[in-house]
Amino acid sequence: MYQFDWSSIPGALPYLWQGMLRTLQITGVAVVVGIVLGTLIAVARLSKSSILSNLAALYVSGFRSVPLVMVLLWFYLLVPQIISSLFGQPGLDIRLLSAFVAFALFEASYYAEIIRAGIQSVSSGQVSAGLALGMTSGQTMRLIVLPQAFRRMIPLLLTQAIILFQDTSLVYVIGLAEFFGVAYNTGNRDGTLVELLLFAGIVYFVICFAASMIVRSLQKKLVS
Amino acid sequence: MISIKAISKWYGEFHVLKECSTTVSKGEVVVVCGPSGSGKSTLIKCVNGLEAFQQGEILIDGVSVGARGTNLSKLRSRVGMVFQHFELFPHLTVIQNLTIAQCKVLRRGNREATEKGQRLLDVVGLAAHAEKFPAQLSGGQQQRVAIARALAMDPIAMLFDEPTSALDPEMIKEVLDVMVKLAQEGMTMMVVTHEMGFAREVANRVIFMDQGQIVEDRPKADFFKSPDTDRAQQFLSKILSHGVQT
Ligand SMILES: Nc1ncnc2c1ncn2[C@@H]1O[C@H](COP(=O)(O)OP(=O)(O)OP(=O)(O)O)[C@@H](O)[C@H]1O
Ligand SMILES: [Mg+2]
Repeated sequence: MYQFDWSSIPGALPYLWQGMLRTLQITGVAVVVGIVLGTLIAVARLSKSSILSNLAALYVSGFRSVPLVMVLLWFYLLVPQIISSLFGQPGLDIRLLSAFVAFALFEASYYAEIIRAGIQSVSSGQVSAGLALGMTSGQTMRLIVLPQAFRRMIPLLLTQAIILFQDTSLVYVIGLAEFFGVAYNTGNRDGTLVELLLFAGIVYFVICFAASMIVRSLQKKLVS
Repeated sequence: MISIKAISKWYGEFHVLKECSTTVSKGEVVVVCGPSGSGKSTLIKCVNGLEAFQQGEILIDGVSVGARGTNLSKLRSRVGMVFQHFELFPHLTVIQNLTIAQCKVLRRGNREATEKGQRLLDVVGLAAHAEKFPAQLSGGQQQRVAIARALAMDPIAMLFDEPTSALDPEMIKEVLDVMVKLAQEGMTMMVVTHEMGFAREVANRVIFMDQGQIVEDRPKADFFKSPDTDRAQQFLSKILSHGVQT
């Protein structure tokens, strides 16, 4: 029988907390930038201009056809070069910055598809009503279609955020210590890897489970 | 006011509108009827440019709808439109439905727009419902809000596309009453409807469409006395015998 040794966990809690903050930071940036960028891409994808719509389609299928880990590594290798050639040596941690950029751009491709479906779920009669009142098509999109689309999409957007929250653990490949990375390093150092990874797993589970419960009750509320 | 000159429209191979011509003068009420699929909705949507047409010309107050240089948004803001399924904005309250285009299109101040909205809600008998959401209203109430929303833009003409056909019978009258009042106040109206009671009461002319063509376009009295064509005759006796009219 394996002897569990939980003794290194209390001492590691402050570091784990720091790691969790980093995880939430990356998730937050990627969700916000991803939704804003994703909305622009979705609107471009549905625009009458075939150039815009093809560019948007290329962006979406491009990012969705490569593994996230690869995007992360590419940006880690690319972003520092670009940044230092633009601004000299930046103060911000370069690994964190490349993680922000990679996740935001990657998530935008997923959000774009969710948002596109949301826009298409708003009936064409609503668009006609906006246009008939003299609104431009931009105003109709912004004031009439998008508010309704987002309301319907909230559960899907949140579900995507939960997936993203878990995926942030991938930043260990560029040596960034978020929650999972801290747990792994601490356990490795103290020889209590199994215990720390179990603990981290429980924390992920509790957070994601609670979040998906919230999503579900939201869904029910939106349906009724 | 509205002059439609020989417009034709195709959906791919399908010829929806065939050389349709008519005019609606200022203060005139024209009722458009005809069997399902005859092109009534398409015709009325062409009038404010919601649908494009390939041939012919439509002028509203002298402005050509299809011309390249025309500011369609500006033109549409002057022509009210009421839809079969109301199309109120569900995420906005009733009063916001009435003010949003006033503020964003006509650049009216919020206070002015709200006052105007309240006044029009009063006209359609819904002053007490300003803060509700559309989903909390009955169909008849929603359609009256939709009429008020269109009127809030001070339109020079109003287009109606089967405004009562999605309503339960007991709600049809409350909507028609508002429309009759509007007609009697001199609003220029083009109304797609099968409510022949409404046509009898306020229409100046009745247009009968079939298979994309305007088959008859005659003063109301003549139309009801004896339609020229068999098709209109048959159509009229069918809808009258089904008791669709009020
Ligand atoms: N977007 C479209 N693409 C192809 N065909 C269309 C389209 N919209 C309408 N049609 C066709 O054009 C014809 C005329 O349609 P329209 O909606 O104008 O008829 P309507 O007279 O308003 O009929 P209803 O009384 O059922 O409302 C119909 O046969 C319809 O199937
Ligand atoms: Mg129709």
